[in-house]
Amino acid sequence: MSRIGVFVCHCGENISRTVDVERVAAQVGKMPGVAFATDYKYMCSDPGQTLLKKTIQEQKLSHVVVAACSPRMHEKTFRKAVEAAGLNPYLCEMANIREHCSWVHEDKQEATAKAIEIVGMLVERVKKNRVLPTITVPVTKRSLVIGGGIAGIQAALDIADAGHEVVLVERDPSIGGHMAQLSETFPTLDCSQCIMTPKMVDVANHPNITLYSYSEIEQVDGYIGNFQVTIRRKARSVDEDKCTGCGVCMEKCPVKKIPNKFDCNLGMRPAIYVPFPQAVPNTPVIDRDNCIKFKTGKCGLCQKVCGPGAVDYEQEDTLIVEPVGAIVVATGFDLYTIDEKPKGSMIKGYGEFGHGKIPDVIDGMTFERLASASGPTGGKILRPSDGKEPKQIVFIQCIGSRAREKGISYCSKVCCMYTAKHTMLYHHKVHDGQAYVFFMDARTPGKAYDEFWRRSIEEEEAVYIRGMVSRLYQKGNKIVVMGSDIAVGVQVEIEADMVVLATAIQPRTGADSLAQKLGISYDKYNFYSEAHAKLRPVECATAGIYLAGACQGPKDIPDTVSQASAAAAKVMTLFAKDKLEREPIVARVKEAGCVGCFACKKVCAYGAVEEKEIRDRQGNLIKVVAYVNPGVCGGCGTCQATCPSKSVELDGYTDEQIVAMIEAL
Amino acid sequence: MKDKLNYSYYPGCSLHASAGEYDLSTRELFKRLSIGLTEVPDWFCCGATPAHNVDELLSLSLCAKNLELAEQVEGDLAVACAACFSRLKTTQHVLAESDVKRKQVEKAIDAPLKLDGKVKHLLEILARDLGLERLAASVTKPLAGLKVACYYGCLLTRPNDVPNLDCVEAPTIMEDVLKAVGAETVAWSHRMECCGANFTLSRPGVVIQLTNAILESAKEAGADCVMVACPLCHGNLDIRQKEIEGVYNVNYGLPVFYITQLVGLACGLSSDKLGLGALIVNPMPLLKEKQLL
Repeated sequence: MSRIGVFVCHCGENISRTVDVERVAAQVGKMPGVAFATDYKYMCSDPGQTLLKKTIQEQKLSHVVVAACSPRMHEKTFRKAVEAAGLNPYLCEMANIREHCSWVHEDKQEATAKAIEIVGMLVERVKKNRVLPTITVPVTKRSLVIGGGIAGIQAALDIADAGHEVVLVERDPSIGGHMAQLSETFPTLDCSQCIMTPKMVDVANHPNITLYSYSEIEQVDGYIGNFQVTIRRKARSVDEDKCTGCGVCMEKCPVKKIPNKFDCNLGMRPAIYVPFPQAVPNTPVIDRDNCIKFKTGKCGLCQKVCGPGAVDYEQEDTLIVEPVGAIVVATGFDLYTIDEKPKGSMIKGYGEFGHGKIPDVIDGMTFERLASASGPTGGKILRPSDGKEPKQIVFIQCIGSRAREKGISYCSKVCCMYTAKHTMLYHHKVHDGQAYVFFMDARTPGKAYDEFWRRSIEEEEAVYIRGMVSRLYQKGNKIVVMGSDIAVGVQVEIEADMVVLATAIQPRTGADSLAQKLGISYDKYNFYSEAHAKLRPVECATAGIYLAGACQGPKDIPDTVSQASAAAAKVMTLFAKDKLEREPIVARVKEAGCVGCFACKKVCAYGAVEEKEIRDRQGNLIKVVAYVNPGVCGGCGTCQATCPSKSVELDGYTDEQIVAMIEAL
Repeated sequence: MKDKLNYSYYPGCSLHASAGEYDLSTRELFKRLSIGLTEVPDWFCCGATPAHNVDELLSLSLCAKNLELAEQVEGDLAVACAACFSRLKTTQHVLAESDVKRKQVEKAIDAPLKLDGKVKHLLEILARDLGLERLAASVTKPLAGLKVACYYGCLLTRPNDVPNLDCVEAPTIMEDVLKAVGAETVAWSHRMECCGANFTLSRPGVVIQLTNAILESAKEAGADCVMVACPLCHGNLDIRQKEIEGVYNVNYGLPVFYITQLVGLACGLSSDKLGLGALIVNPMPLLKEKQLL
């Protein structure tokens, strides 16, 4: 027989103003199984908790119901108090008579009657609560960081500085990401390379960081604290351990004219190359599609000239498995495809802007490379078509962003600011030039951002035209920009020498397939989803996986670095304990009833359902049933609602308990 | 593959008047390609561009009644005029999306609507239903050496929120069809610009300015001629061309063909079956020079 204790809280006057708490205690005290009922002014206060603990011991209570506020507020508080009194904490439940009752009603009599019913329901439910042991899982105190841009670099350095090992995986031959491509950064105009490359070197030199560049994630198994990650190290054709980075191979390579992706195809590179001089690691990679040796079997010059004998044409992809306890995903972004409609995409492209057909219509990143001191023009703004300095330049914002009819409705967040920066860089380099900007709105929320934007107009003489552009076309060696000025209500035509399109930020190509490997969710654009938009912005719903940077949504550098450090802090919190303790409110499978349909596995958002073989004593397979890994289960109950044979139940929320609560009404 | 393509046919007012040669060449071309065309009995004006600026219910009902009449004939509805096409398609879309409007319109036209057929522009029928390969196989006289500026105008791919026959801003369907019949297409800037359409009567000054820009850029791009799929565009570019040349003191001499005329020519139809004699800018010297007659 249960000996339930019920404690009705006044919450100062929050509850007692509209609920007759004494009557609630008196009525509930008469319910079967209730051994003790009382009311108290502040149950959560120290004397309130002492009362709770004392009564448990004196009355030899078997279960406890605290009728007070929402369990979101104080469930933990009271379960802790119950545990201190020697009871299993999961034998304590809260009846919410504040948010669900006193705060939303005025009539005291009716509110009191409702409060009695609410408490009655919880009394029936707590009778069927089981003693639940706290679940503990071991933690591997090593972290995986996916992506070597500024987000991944920051997260890796923070975790490594805290004394934990980090495995950093980068898809490209060098870390650095987009930030390494930028010229100067808003709103302070400091040189991107100058602030970025030291961090890249720190990564290379850090004793706690293992860097796998030119590598990709092949497979992810396991769960929080215990992931097994398979990494594909793509064949570099150069031995990283032997190579000294002298660069002789690149000088001697007879193939010289391959457009360099890092320079937005403006500059050229050889077939054996590092993407840029400050690359980390400073080990070249052979582009096998363009290498004469790989195409024809002849040449082999780089191998001949390599002193340390690092060039290895026989090298193959290798797979390595790394055990880690936490994963930070920092895969970054791609820029919107401006040209034609990409195949199979909801994005429609901007064929009418002639990008790819008119050589002097470029995107923002290409302008960055033109303006960069280490870029293909040495920092001079020159037209790709004829190498001349453009005297009239038009910047067009929101290309792809905020354009529902083109397939993207979100704002890319950084373009207003970088376009303002572009007008300044242009003005600094072409003194007699004129910059025009077509814009919808100028969005400048950020420290010193609006001042920076104002400066581009007031001091750097950029002309801002509110309105969009319908079409661009080549006329002689000019580009005719046809747009509208909605402030004045007229059509505008500008004959420009160069046009720069501020294209939208999109998740990386393949972001969806990586998400499927990791078991994390993503939105319709393939941006990764955080667990809660406001309160859990760096965690995935999948335990042990964290997000940093533009893979979660468009972000500038300060926001990206902040989120990366936040993700690192979350990893350190996880690593602060040797074993993970977690609430045992998880689903359990009743194996006798399970028919192995795995409907639960299909709906599980956490990837917690595994397949378990049931064998007899001779070892013959009898059946395969579902098994819920308690370390991974998120306790959402979706499996319970889905199971056709009612064979999986969430502790504390079993069908039996729900029915008992309904019957108590 | 279906053995024979069959369509109900909505010519629209212009094709029974100023654009008679578009109607003629459409019927002859489809006969040559063995595509069935049955004119919708008792069809009337779709309301074109003015009606929907005056009264939404009226404009929807005009088109809906025509759609209802077309539903009595077998096959999807083939439309030649870009304005009719845009209005009929928009109406079908609006009524399919809104039960309230559909009921209002059904009451106004006093007939139930099925809305199950598709509204298709001739271009779609040639490029997709027949298909470029089969079209190319029907060619007996490829338009080799003829440089054509394909002019879309505004309405063929608009409005934006109605399922379109091609990309709104950068379509290629006209070029695709012309390449299939052996012509050369030029890349030019003004293929999507407005010609002024029915301002041709109320504000001819505007039309002359807009149309001049279109002809000028077609000429600059090296085109021998312009191809259209809309009787209003044709009126402005062809009938007004002489006047424009006078105003701007230039000489374009660009014949303006309908899509069905050029495709028909490639399929071996004679000049009189295509109504080439009805064109104001005489195309004969060009066609003789290119040995296409």
